[in-house]
Amino acid sequence: MKTSFKLILALIFSLNITTFQAQTAEEIVDNYIENIGGDEAWSAVENMKITGVANQQGVDYPFVATYMKDGRYAIDVDLQGTSFIVEAFDGENSWAMNFQTQKAEASDSETSLNTKNGAQDEIVSPFHNYKDKGYTIELLGKDTWEGSEVFKVKITMTPVMVDGKEEENSEVYYFDTENFVPIASESKVTSGPAKGAMAQTLYSDYQEVDNKYVAYTMTNKFNGNTQLVMNVKSVEFNADIDESIFKMPED
Amino acid sequence: MKKIVLALAVLWSCIPIANAQENTIKAESYFGDLRARHIGPALMSGRINDMEAHPTNPRIIYAGTAGGGVWKSNDAGATFNPIFDEYCQSIGAVEIDPNDPDKTIYVGTGETWPRNSVSIGDGLYKSSDGGTTWEKMGFEKSERIANIIVNPNNSQEIYVGILGALWSDSEERGVYKTSDGGETWNKILYVDEMTGCADMTMDHNDPNILYASMWEFRRTGWSFNSGGDKSALYKSTDAGKTWNKIHNGFPEGKLGRLAIAVAPSDSNVLYTVIEAEEDSKKGLYRSDDAGASWKQLNNDFGITVRPFYFSRITVDPRNPDVVVKGGLSGSISRDGGKTFKNLGNMHSDIHDVIFDINNSDVMYSGTDGGVYRSWNGGTTFEIVENLPLSQFYHISVDDAEPYNVYGGLQDNGSWYGPSQAGGGVKARDWNSIGGGDGFRVLKHPTKNIIYSEMQGAENVWRYDVNKKLVKTIQPLPTEAYSKLRFNWNAPMAVSKHQPDRFYMGSQYLHKSEDMGNTWEVISPDLTTNDPTKQNQEDSGGLSMDNSGAENHTTIFTIAESPLDENIIWVGTDDGNVQVTRDGGKNWTNTTPNISGLPANTWVYHIEASVHGKGTAYAVFDGHTKGDMKPYAYKTTDYGKSWTNIISDDVEIFARNIQEDYENENLLYLGTEFGLYITLDGGKSWSKFKNNMPSVAVHFIDLQAKTNDLVMGTHGRGVIIIDDISPLREINSKVLSKKLHFFESDPFVMNDNSGAFGNGFGAETQFVGSNGPSGALIKYLLPKRHTFGKMTMEIQDMDGNKIVSLTPGKAKGINIVNWNYTIKNPKVAKGKTFSFGGFTSPRVSAGEYKAVIKKGKETFEHVFEVKNDTDTGLSKADIDMKHKTTMKMYNMTQELAYMVYELDALYEATKGKKAKVANALNELKKTLVVTTGDNYVGSAEPQLREKMADLYAKIAGSYDAPSNAELANLEVIEKRFNNAKSDFKKLKKKTNPEELELKTFDEFINE
Repeated sequence: MKTSFKLILALIFSLNITTFQAQTAEEIVDNYIENIGGDEAWSAVENMKITGVANQQGVDYPFVATYMKDGRYAIDVDLQGTSFIVEAFDGENSWAMNFQTQKAEASDSETSLNTKNGAQDEIVSPFHNYKDKGYTIELLGKDTWEGSEVFKVKITMTPVMVDGKEEENSEVYYFDTENFVPIASESKVTSGPAKGAMAQTLYSDYQEVDNKYVAYTMTNKFNGNTQLVMNVKSVEFNADIDESIFKMPED
Repeated sequence: MKKIVLALAVLWSCIPIANAQENTIKAESYFGDLRARHIGPALMSGRINDMEAHPTNPRIIYAGTAGGGVWKSNDAGATFNPIFDEYCQSIGAVEIDPNDPDKTIYVGTGETWPRNSVSIGDGLYKSSDGGTTWEKMGFEKSERIANIIVNPNNSQEIYVGILGALWSDSEERGVYKTSDGGETWNKILYVDEMTGCADMTMDHNDPNILYASMWEFRRTGWSFNSGGDKSALYKSTDAGKTWNKIHNGFPEGKLGRLAIAVAPSDSNVLYTVIEAEEDSKKGLYRSDDAGASWKQLNNDFGITVRPFYFSRITVDPRNPDVVVKGGLSGSISRDGGKTFKNLGNMHSDIHDVIFDINNSDVMYSGTDGGVYRSWNGGTTFEIVENLPLSQFYHISVDDAEPYNVYGGLQDNGSWYGPSQAGGGVKARDWNSIGGGDGFRVLKHPTKNIIYSEMQGAENVWRYDVNKKLVKTIQPLPTEAYSKLRFNWNAPMAVSKHQPDRFYMGSQYLHKSEDMGNTWEVISPDLTTNDPTKQNQEDSGGLSMDNSGAENHTTIFTIAESPLDENIIWVGTDDGNVQVTRDGGKNWTNTTPNISGLPANTWVYHIEASVHGKGTAYAVFDGHTKGDMKPYAYKTTDYGKSWTNIISDDVEIFARNIQEDYENENLLYLGTEFGLYITLDGGKSWSKFKNNMPSVAVHFIDLQAKTNDLVMGTHGRGVIIIDDISPLREINSKVLSKKLHFFESDPFVMNDNSGAFGNGFGAETQFVGSNGPSGALIKYLLPKRHTFGKMTMEIQDMDGNKIVSLTPGKAKGINIVNWNYTIKNPKVAKGKTFSFGGFTSPRVSAGEYKAVIKKGKETFEHVFEVKNDTDTGLSKADIDMKHKTTMKMYNMTQELAYMVYELDALYEATKGKKAKVANALNELKKTLVVTTGDNYVGSAEPQLREKMADLYAKIAGSYDAPSNAELANLEVIEKRFNNAKSDFKKLKKKTNPEELELKTFDEFINE
């Protein structure tokens, strides 16, 4: 069954009527989840496999990212024909390959812990089942983002550990008031000299896959500069996954 | 899913690769990708008002700055980041809720060391999430907040000490208290509309005990008064219900500014610094009985100097006898206040000092030149290097490439630096060009000579940059003009018509035709010459303060028409807009022709227009009379009539205006709370917010070649918006289109690169951002693209795809940067990476098309790309370089395909035809590295590595391939041909047709 794009637009148009009545963060998030396919559809996702091309400074890097409902994931980049795992999480520990040796190395324990705490947020966004995860949301008001009218919603998630200290873990999402999908989010850099500065992610080109809407372009910006653009080529839900990819190789 | 973006970003850093309403358009919806970038400088930083330590985490320090907002350090001051950019940048006080120190922060706006150039605040703010978001808590008219204290046992109970308005009467001052977390406030200590709370503290051991000093003060444009009968020190022992003066032991007579501190380790020990009538009675007083009695201990210069500017006492949290006092150098006593010595060498004018919460050897000092840290109890200090808080009074630009920015700073001299530099604009890129307080700095229009000045034109320097020769050239009194009145920020101007001409303004307009060697007065006194505003020697109140900062009835701005050298505009600080149309023979005061402007409002800037000889803009600033409204007017008839060009959109007073050189309706307004832009000649204004803090913009210039808008801010250094030309094209017609490409000049593929070793020592320094390079494809979307596909390609003029780019989707102006390259070549798979293979070659000069597909529609824009002529290369050289590069690019891909085939054949033959498989494997070992790693364990390079490295070397060079490179290419080519031949032979021994191999094109484009 394939919902036509026009139908979705019609749906959004009808939702538009509620735009100016939607006053609570809860209503905004409910509308958002509904507009991207609904809770039922997203809850039925056991895994999600994204194939695409990332671009930095004009250079393209094909990638495959695989996310499991239980939080395990692996992001595999093709570098000159060689598979390179830039980040993976096996359910308990996160790991990545060292660029020099191309061998897997375990992430530090804080990173693993923080990854574990946020592992449930990857398939849709932290907003899916946010209450069950113990997250809180707050409407910070109406604003504009790059000229478009938005609802500014802050979500506070499980605290992160940074250099031995627990810190608040929150992000601000900007939901387009016309269609309730996020067009941007902002999060604080948690570590390093830029700690406290805001990094932005922009979302666009939402496309329908199995009655669910996914942002096909995501752009990561910091201090006005585009750090990385990710263009999705295909999204597969509930694919056959070789689950060994999440485990850190012994070698 | 967002994880991908973040995860990949980490990896790439490792790879070493080269609304239209009727007649008005609200610009803010369309600013899109236009974005401000900050270039500092930070090496001299700027004025700090208040330092604040986290009560339990010694890593966290806050700096509340005079004009640059609030900055937070997470590493004990090694680096800071701004956390308050969207709001008023003039800060009075920062307070951390001791009961919730990680999340709850209060910021009181409005600097409290009220020098002449001080800005204003707009109330109290609170963050409940560690500074990510802020809400306003009222006190909009408070102008300056001196202290905020949260009861350490009850977060709902907060005291706010409001110093209040500097330039006018105000009832919003004194001490306020809330018991419900800020829902309601009660004024619990108030004296009168001239007297505010200058300092307040709470007994660290008893939150019911409060001390507050009240200060009678007032500033005008021409004088300052500190002190009066109303100034006093008060104490409350019932949480602010009742207050009593605690003056037992105080000097008789009027009092000025008083500081108050309680020793955290002994509630009986109090210190105050008293500004009194008699000099001998001024100084530090101590009480050992919680204020019941006082004894004078010290009245050294360091303790009594300029009380309005330095009135902060800090007591060591662990030792009641260690006392620090702000001052010209800062003073520290280790004997309970009896004797003091200066703090260690740092920038002068110390406004606040705090101790580390655990270790009194560690101190943080807030000065006129930024934040300093001491590790040895104040003996030596080091500067924090990443606080770009420079406070420009004025800036100008030259026409160099890249252009330089010139300007003068509050208490930090005059400087010039590049608008961009290799690796970013760093501290070492800036050059000092004058001492004292710096103001206007102008480049000679044709010679490598720079004019700069210090306060009151005490020195005006002419600096020959090439010969490093300095001469002072300020106009001096003559028999006919025996007394000259120069403003603190004295105006100077150069001429577009006569390069050696140089103007200065006192009360007269002075003109020199020989770069300041000889001067001629070409006007009568153009001011009101009001004698009541010329008594600066009486200024200061209880402490005389005749620094020259209050000089008044002076010329403040000079503008020679860019269209006619005989038309000169002059504006004075007492409200006159004078114009001459005959080079100074006759002058007309046009101010009477302006309606709606209060009398004697300071003429801050006049902009003589390029759009008409009779056209000019004038900006008036009334804040020194307590009038915070913006005033800007335009005339097209030499000032016979003036039209108001300010709308209700502008929230606060303005100081500067810049016109656009092409679109007369496009104007830029510098206000105390940021930049405003109008697209409709001033009918409506929009605040520009993209990375532009709400900082005071003192001066704006528009660089004519690059169309960069360059701003001198008073607290955040130089801020640039690169190429504003798209704004010129925005109108209702353009907005009705689905997508509009903006016009573009040909792009030049620059070959110059940054210098070497740019990162050395810059780890904790501020580095200014560079502007974008590359072909900037600019277009306007009247509405954001959110759903469905939107793609962008660069194509040649035959429609062949060169490269795919990711288009911007924002409403308004989108800017897509193409770095002139095609995709990097597909590289043969090896054990490790071939770094040369990450290089992307540039295209040839010529015409290209940007093609955007949005839904079913296609939009095209043709643009031109040119070669960099600075390289001196001939066309033949350039063609040779391109041809060789592409030859190697193709060879690299060919090799990649060969290795792909070889791998497949090897897999198919191994175990079946061992000998062939073995031969294939041996061949492969000569083609790519099959062992080792990407660092010191790397294997001997093979054909792939050698080929890719040479390819990267040639592609990355500005020059045509050298003979050495071509000879090396021959060797590689020969080896490749041999390998191809060997492979061909081996292939014959296999059955490739049985395999489902991709074609070359399929392999390359997969």
